[in-house]
Amino acid sequence: MFLNHAQKMLLVAAASLLLMQGCATSAEKSLGMRQSLMQGRPDLALTTVEQNGETSDVMTNMNRGLLRRMNRDYAGSNEVLEAAKKEIEALYGVSVTEQAGAVIANDEAISFKGDRYEQVLVHAYMALNYISLGQIDAARVEMLQADVKMMEWGETPEEDPFARYLTGIVFEALGEADDARVAYSKAVDVYKKTKSRHGLNIPSQLKSDLLFSLSKTGMNDELQRYKKEFGMNGYKAPATKGMGELIVLMHNGLAPQRDQTGIQIFSPELAGNIRIAIPTYPNPPAYVNQIRLQVSGQQKVLEPVENIDGLARAALEGDIAGISARALARAVVKKKMEKEAGDRGGGLMQLAMLVVNTASEIADTRCWNTLPQEIQLGRVYLPEGTHQVKMDVIGQTGAVVDTYEMPVVIKANRKTIISEHWVAPRPLITAPAESENATTTAANDTH
Amino acid sequence: MKVSKKMMGVLPVAALGAVMVFGLAACNPKVSRVDSAAVTDLSGNWNDTDSRLVADEMIQDVLARPWLSRFNKDHGKVPTVIVGTVRNLSHEHINTRTFISDLEKSLINSGDVEFVASAGEREEIRSERKDQDLHAKEDTRKAMGQEAGADFMLQGTINTIIDAVKGEQARFYQVDLQLIDLESNRKVWVGQKKIKKTVEKSGLRF
Repeated sequence: MFLNHAQKMLLVAAASLLLMQGCATSAEKSLGMRQSLMQGRPDLALTTVEQNGETSDVMTNMNRGLLRRMNRDYAGSNEVLEAAKKEIEALYGVSVTEQAGAVIANDEAISFKGDRYEQVLVHAYMALNYISLGQIDAARVEMLQADVKMMEWGETPEEDPFARYLTGIVFEALGEADDARVAYSKAVDVYKKTKSRHGLNIPSQLKSDLLFSLSKTGMNDELQRYKKEFGMNGYKAPATKGMGELIVLMHNGLAPQRDQTGIQIFSPELAGNIRIAIPTYPNPPAYVNQIRLQVSGQQKVLEPVENIDGLARAALEGDIAGISARALARAVVKKKMEKEAGDRGGGLMQLAMLVVNTASEIADTRCWNTLPQEIQLGRVYLPEGTHQVKMDVIGQTGAVVDTYEMPVVIKANRKTIISEHWVAPRPLITAPAESENATTTAANDTH
Repeated sequence: MKVSKKMMGVLPVAALGAVMVFGLAACNPKVSRVDSAAVTDLSGNWNDTDSRLVADEMIQDVLARPWLSRFNKDHGKVPTVIVGTVRNLSHEHINTRTFISDLEKSLINSGDVEFVASAGEREEIRSERKDQDLHAKEDTRKAMGQEAGADFMLQGTINTIIDAVKGEQARFYQVDLQLIDLESNRKVWVGQKKIKKTVEKSGLRF
């Protein structure tokens, strides 16, 4: 039996349709996972994303990485984040076939390798995992890799101030005061330079960290200059002899989810308006709960040091012109395919082609949607010994919606780092063993 | 290539099919055996070749230096060395065990140096001895407190300097190893190996 041309085409088209897994947007596919998270059940969310076995897909591995982390599997988290990192490296450059696919099907034909802010955060989260595992040297490796990555981009607005800040913290934890100082002053620069993307001012904690490291390393001229710049002329380095430092990082909320919106756009080639689907962030940024840290009589509201929500929106804004141009080109190709099918196969073929085209036309809503909305930080010097730490999550109305309580061990001249991701009030069943919350970093030289 | 008008309509669909097939191609891995001394530079990251280069250089150097004969003359025995930490200060997760064991192997085989178990390895040995104390026959039992103390400790660092612009990197690795006299803190030997590579990435792929 010989199929005629049109029948063959129909077969191909139908097969393609099947292969495209029904063409749900990425946002729709991850709905269940996000819902579990918003119910304070990272364990269920993890089960959802772990279903399909090992994969090289960058987005899946990014999400698995953060969810494993939320479930306190730090080594497992690094395993998949490392896989994501390798794949991002392998996907360097523009793919010819994928670009062609994007013109015929949709933008999801282009392999996801994350926006630049997401690529840097892979390193940051791997570093935080290593810190939780007590391997500070390995965390240092990650932050150096983030540095190389940003160096490769050259002078770009995508440089990540939080990555610089975290690098400084890692250096400081290892007793490398000079490198820490350099990283802190870079962080200050980057917060200023990239403010239009994230809207954050230089965190006041970072200002004191920089001044402290300048005075520790005896850089008096620079110390005076920064004191003036920060308006902190009365700054005196705190007496920290015999004390250790508690550093709290709260990964707060969830990054926004891209969604698709249909817009009408004029096509000169078709001499008419056509509908294209583009990704958008439909909702305004959510309210970010405040975190109040209380320990040994000291009280502090954590400060935002990374606004991932802002970075995500800025990244999409930067990409949208290219995305729309591709969508327009695709719409034209699809219209021509339909007409061609109709001319040679009749009305039925044209209809079949229309179905395929409409079903495959979805916006690329892929994003690392398990990231927090914001990262907040607080640092406190404490005398050596075990301290009871309490962190209240304060909602929009001012009421305490959730509370963390845990003992932490502070050692002289060492950093103790707590890193938690809060998304929703946690039901009691998932409350982790308290001793797991705090992580004391490896030994560090005293200065 | 000339494409007929008739083909034009099918082309996008065929291309779409091809893209899908590319996306799904999970073919069997192709394995071929190569000599362990062959240079296989894949990503430009630290690999077995770098590790071997470091080991070769260090082995040659450490056996040729006067610290060995000097120790022999002063003490009338071969020196005992313990492996301390080799800190990785590079921008890559580097397994330092590979060249350290190469170095250890050559030194032991040369007969000029003895090694004692490192801090990590000792724990297992000690627990075995404890176990023997309870369960082994008297004439085969190994006594505690008979461990050999090391004369020198081997320590080191790996450092990197990276310079990068879009798609291109210059990588410089420097491995420093040193032998420190456990009694006097004196450094008796310092070995160094430098490796430089450039890595270029293509801006286009298929």
